[in-house]
Amino acid sequence: MAKVITKVKLRNFKRFQEFELHLQPERNLLLGDNESGKSSILQAIDLVLAGSRSKVETLGIESLFNVDAVLEFLAGAREYGNLPELKVELYLNEQHNPDLNGNNNLDGTMCDGLALICSPMEEYSEEIAAILKDEDVSFPFEYYSIKFRTFAGEPYGGPRKYLRHLLLDSTQINNEYATREYVKSVYRTNSEDGERHKHQNEYRKHKAKFRDAVLSDVNAKLDTYQFSIATSKKSNLESDLTITEDDISIDNKGRGKQCFIKTEFALQKKKSTHPLDVLLLEEPENHLSHTSMKRLVTTIAHAEEQQMVVTTHNSLISTRLDLRNAVLLNSTSTVSAALSDLSPETADFFMKAPDNNVLEFVLSGRVILVEGDAEYILMQALFKQLVGTEIDTTDIHVISVGGTSFKRYLEVARLLGVRTAVLRDNDGDFEKNCQKAFESYLSDSVRVFSETDNDIRTFEISIYQNNAALCDEMFSGGRIRLPPQEYMLSNKTTVALRLLEEKAENLVVPGYIGEAITWINE
Amino acid sequence: MVTYTDNNYRNLTNRIIRQYGGIPVGTRIYTYFSFLYSFCLRPLVGDKYGLRGINFDTPPDFTRRLKRDDLRHYIDSNGRIYASRMASFIIKTGMVEDVRNRIAKYCDVVFVDEVQDFAGYDFSLLLDLCAGNTDAVFVGDFFQHTYDTSRDGNVNKGLHDDYDKYKKSFEDRGFEIDETTLRKSYRCSQTTCEFVSDELDIDIDSHHENKSLLEFVDNEGWAEAIFHQPHTVKLFYRLHRSYDCLSDNWGASKGVDDYDSVCVVLNMKTEKLLRNGQLEKLPPMTRNKLYVACTRARSELFLVPERYFKKFKR
Repeated sequence: MAKVITKVKLRNFKRFQEFELHLQPERNLLLGDNESGKSSILQAIDLVLAGSRSKVETLGIESLFNVDAVLEFLAGAREYGNLPELKVELYLNEQHNPDLNGNNNLDGTMCDGLALICSPMEEYSEEIAAILKDEDVSFPFEYYSIKFRTFAGEPYGGPRKYLRHLLLDSTQINNEYATREYVKSVYRTNSEDGERHKHQNEYRKHKAKFRDAVLSDVNAKLDTYQFSIATSKKSNLESDLTITEDDISIDNKGRGKQCFIKTEFALQKKKSTHPLDVLLLEEPENHLSHTSMKRLVTTIAHAEEQQMVVTTHNSLISTRLDLRNAVLLNSTSTVSAALSDLSPETADFFMKAPDNNVLEFVLSGRVILVEGDAEYILMQALFKQLVGTEIDTTDIHVISVGGTSFKRYLEVARLLGVRTAVLRDNDGDFEKNCQKAFESYLSDSVRVFSETDNDIRTFEISIYQNNAALCDEMFSGGRIRLPPQEYMLSNKTTVALRLLEEKAENLVVPGYIGEAITWINE
Repeated sequence: MVTYTDNNYRNLTNRIIRQYGGIPVGTRIYTYFSFLYSFCLRPLVGDKYGLRGINFDTPPDFTRRLKRDDLRHYIDSNGRIYASRMASFIIKTGMVEDVRNRIAKYCDVVFVDEVQDFAGYDFSLLLDLCAGNTDAVFVGDFFQHTYDTSRDGNVNKGLHDDYDKYKKSFEDRGFEIDETTLRKSYRCSQTTCEFVSDELDIDIDSHHENKSLLEFVDNEGWAEAIFHQPHTVKLFYRLHRSYDCLSDNWGASKGVDDYDSVCVVLNMKTEKLLRNGQLEKLPPMTRNKLYVACTRARSELFLVPERYFKKFKR
């Protein structure tokens, strides 16, 4: 039976004061802007599963502790009893192990799980209380202990692992330490305990042989002091191991290739008795070309053996791995929104549709959805005309979607509460195309704007009607044989580009677009 | 598997490893108090009561006067729970049902060794947890009852006064009594068993038919020689540490299984009773301890009056 994490709960960990995230048994996507805390969540999971105090010590409790919790404490009455604690809890599915089961967790529910707890050491309570009385006190991180324990209250750490995991951080691809850690964990998951001891023992013997056979020439010339090969914590089998492809060590390959190999290698089906339970992938898109990324995504999508948590800000990765597995993290709030309620049709649409901007949409606070390239091109100008500022300096995104996919985006908008203005042509039937079609999607945060006059079927006609003199002047004569409005309808993009370049400041904004901009900008 | 003494815990673990080449997956061996703490209490209420371990000391007097719903009756100021009050804590705080569920969830069978030493609330809790729950097998020797897991108040007082009543307290909760399977000793010889049956009036038989050396040593020179024999363990009624030799106390030797040659040291009173053939008249606890001591012997058993060893006393 697969071992999976069902929920992650954080208290005072990095940017999260209180945070809870449910995980799916197979694939999980964490989407979010920079600083939204995606990486922190992977790090939190990694720390708990590794159960290594030295790892936490190396990072420093101070760097893991939520800054606001510290500031709030210092600004308050500074009572010993109110000192904040840092907790990372991983709730697991049924593991059939009494050592993991108990209700020593923030939820107080009976289940299996692991936790990292940093709390003040009680044996120093008097010293801490004394320090806290000091006027310009600094937070007593030095008096915090690092504990790993199961929900049964059983301490754990070191080699006794309940779940096997691997963190693949491609942002650290050139980091020697990270690479070594990676090789080490891959080696461990691919070998048995007994096997490893044998390997290490043999390796030591070979070093001795080398000394006797090869270094003997030099050593023969020496007396008391002799050359030998180091064997220590820093130079042993695990520290010297590397992974090769066609006899070339992965260290010597390009970053992109390294990312690729590492991910693929971690994902390959194991003959080992101890497959990985959890794989943590940090931004696998880093350093990868579009083609490599597509291949990688296919590999990830077909990996079935383990639970995966992937962070990304890449649309391709998020849609291909099924948006329903995605959880959205926002940099301005610490609430996560899951897309698991998305309809299968919509998830499928984004998976198969051409490369799209869904992630941009998902990560935006406010969006104007337009129907075509022409609207997209002119929207900047119209916005500036009306509001006076560049649209790019706001958090409003303009996204161009094909006519039929509006509803797909609106379904996402409804789930995530993205404020969305839809600009729609009425195509000659306002009631049908702009009212009935969107009825079920309208809400306080979703509105549709269009011309109500069925004669003004499209955006171009509306632009012409509002700027007749200007358009007549620009789009007649010369090689243009069609009447201006006809010409505009059959050369949409060209017209939009020329208007933007030549008359951006003189355009009269059509009424419905004005309403849309005003509403979205509220 | 739950056992009481550390000796037993080690013995049991070693035997299982010898038999199965390791501890089989799913098998857990606990000493009684670690079972109560790590398996029962801590997972359920570790954080709730801020438990931080077990306090094996006798609880201080003031705690006896506290109401039974006062936490300080059970837990010391450092968050450690008194060993002797863990069972009553589980009962009084209404956790029996939760622990029963936990046992049913993780255990197919519960084995309890040295069950005769369960007393007080521990005895009540043991039956409350196992009766009508998962299969349970309790193993014990009524006559090896030499101490109590804990004694706190008057609960189950007199439990060990009468063997028949003792058996009935199990039967009343639906347990079957099996007095045949383990009636014969694998360790002790025919000779030792006969001695115990005749002199101590405790019915015991052997799986072996061979005779062994059993000698009442009434000769100072011979006694001294035995004292200096390094392979012969000297078992004293008490205070064995006063003698500089391989030694233990009668009661504490329970569960030890690797003595071939045993010398049971008799104090004046016991020596006299033995000479008169009246050992069965010893107070029950003392008789039980002597019984434990004598049955440690795999082969030779010497009975030596303590007065011959006086000169070696430190």
